[in-house]
Amino acid sequence: MLLPRFDYSQPQNLEAALDLLNAHREDAKILAGGTDLLVRMKKGLIRPKRLISLKSLKELSYIKKEHDCIRMGAGTSLADIISSDLVRKKARALFQACEKVGAVTIQHHRGTIGGNILQDNRCHHYNQSDFHRSGRQACHKDGGKICYARENADRCNSTCQSDGATALMALGAKLVLASKENERTVDLDQFYTADGIKPHAMEAHELLKEIIVPLNNAQSDYQRLAYRSAIDYPIACAGVQLKPSENQKDQIEDARIVVGAMGRAPLFLAQAAAFLKDKSIHDEAAFQKAADACMDSAATFAVHNVGSTLEYRCEMVSPMVFRALKEASQALENAID
Amino acid sequence: MEKMEITLNINDKSREVTVHPNETLLDVLREKLDMIGAKESCGEGVCGSCTVQMDGKPVRSCLTLAVEARGAKIKTVEGLADGEELSDLQQSFIDHGAVQCGFCTPGMLMSADALLNENHNPDEKAIRKALAGNICRCTGYAKIVQAVAHAAEPGDHCSDCKS
Ligand SMILES: Cc1cc2nc3c(=O)[nH]c(=O)nc-3n(C[C@H](O)[C@H](O)[C@H](O)COP(=O)(O)OP(=O)(O)OC[C@H]3O[C@@H](n4cnc5c(N)ncnc54)[C@H](O)[C@@H]3O)c2cc1C
Ligand code: SF4
Ligand code: FES
Ligand code: FES
Repeated sequence: MLLPRFDYSQPQNLEAALDLLNAHREDAKILAGGTDLLVRMKKGLIRPKRLISLKSLKELSYIKKEHDCIRMGAGTSLADIISSDLVRKKARALFQACEKVGAVTIQHHRGTIGGNILQDNRCHHYNQSDFHRSGRQACHKDGGKICYARENADRCNSTCQSDGATALMALGAKLVLASKENERTVDLDQFYTADGIKPHAMEAHELLKEIIVPLNNAQSDYQRLAYRSAIDYPIACAGVQLKPSENQKDQIEDARIVVGAMGRAPLFLAQAAAFLKDKSIHDEAAFQKAADACMDSAATFAVHNVGSTLEYRCEMVSPMVFRALKEASQALENAID
Repeated sequence: MEKMEITLNINDKSREVTVHPNETLLDVLREKLDMIGAKESCGEGVCGSCTVQMDGKPVRSCLTLAVEARGAKIKTVEGLADGEELSDLQQSFIDHGAVQCGFCTPGMLMSADALLNENHNPDEKAIRKALAGNICRCTGYAKIVQAVAHAAEPGDHCSDCKS
């Protein structure tokens, strides 16, 4: 499969990369590992005039511990994240999510965490070859006015299938976005537009520089379902984080629950999570109730456009959330001993 | 779109090629350097038939631009044999009947070779994990796993091993 034509730049430092992005804006795309971008280009889904490669920007590849957070460069490979003891111990959900992305040979060495978060949303009506799409009317995401996944939808409901984003949102991560003139930090749970055509609230001249994961005494877990675990994207997944109360360690003070692969963005389900406040870490009935509530909420967002049937994906949300809660509470219990 | 003169280090040899930025490493290996070991099957990262190594790590050459492979030590399936002499891993694939149509074989070999260079004695789970991103349409997975296990450690753990 041939790639469309484009010009290529390989800036030697961040400043040069930001200059290029500023000059070319919508015409340019950042090339990190390319494992999402090049596939979309081969299918003719996007045709950037210029690719700006991060290959020489070693300064974007690091994992650092500070007193209250972990900082990761956006260009850090998934392989480096998986082999980091710090991530494994202090941000377990992220470790689990990265480990489950595709197969070793596809993403782990070339794929980056920044590219994982910023990969485009997917839909089985849209992620098809030029030829396939040429036989029918274009949908919203393809520049048309209809949606094949949901009758009469006024917007695109393509699905965010990023494993990393779901786990990072559960961990309360922030993103540092840099542009020539500016640098800003946004909470990942505020980073999405609710529009599947352009899911990320980010300007064309901005570059994702860093991901910040706060450190605290909470424990996290990530669970996902995919057909062939080695190559397929998740069709339902959940990331959770449970924070114990200061003076009663077997009681939950705060919970975060995020359901992924069920909507245009990872779904931050605050209501279901709030129900777990002040519950015991052994209260499995409460976990089940929260998990079922997540399933009901996710079902209102999801459309039938990735992997399996909608019914199956919706039903599997509850076990994903339940298992993640159980594993995270187990980790809290282990921390007490 | 500019043409670029690039140097690639392939199987410890320096190769000069003129490429367009939109050519993948796989395109250049097959179309410009006559190294047709790596195969294109899906062209979109799913199957693993195009797997080569960059600095010892298995990567999909169909999703790697040739210009991005500059500076890396690239190893392809052609780099396994020493002249006419097949490597132990290649010989083991033959001995165990791990090759049917052979289309997935170069990719399987490169993923397995990368594993064996890192882990001299992988258990079956490790082998399966390392090969999980390589699809065999002839579905001869059991023989392939055995062939890799045997190459790591010849012996009786392999049920139909003749040696
Ligand atoms: C067969 C297959 C299976 C896959 N399975 C999974 C899976 O199970 N789970 C999953 O989450 N993903 C999966 N992926 C998608 C992808 O491989 C990974 O998400 C990977 O981590 C993407 O990283 P990358 O560096 O290759 O991204 P790229 O393709 O380089 O970039 C992705 C997007 O982000 C932009 N971008 C990248 N970095 C920056 C930056 N620093 N600043 C601004 N923009 C940036 C690019 O312009 C592009 O639009 C799969 C892909 C394939 C081909
Ligand atoms: S959800 Fe609808 S508009 Fe969006 S990509 Fe799928 S078919 Fe197109
Ligand atoms: S041809 Fe590269 S992964 Fe299938
Ligand atoms: S031997 Fe035919 S695809 Fe594997």
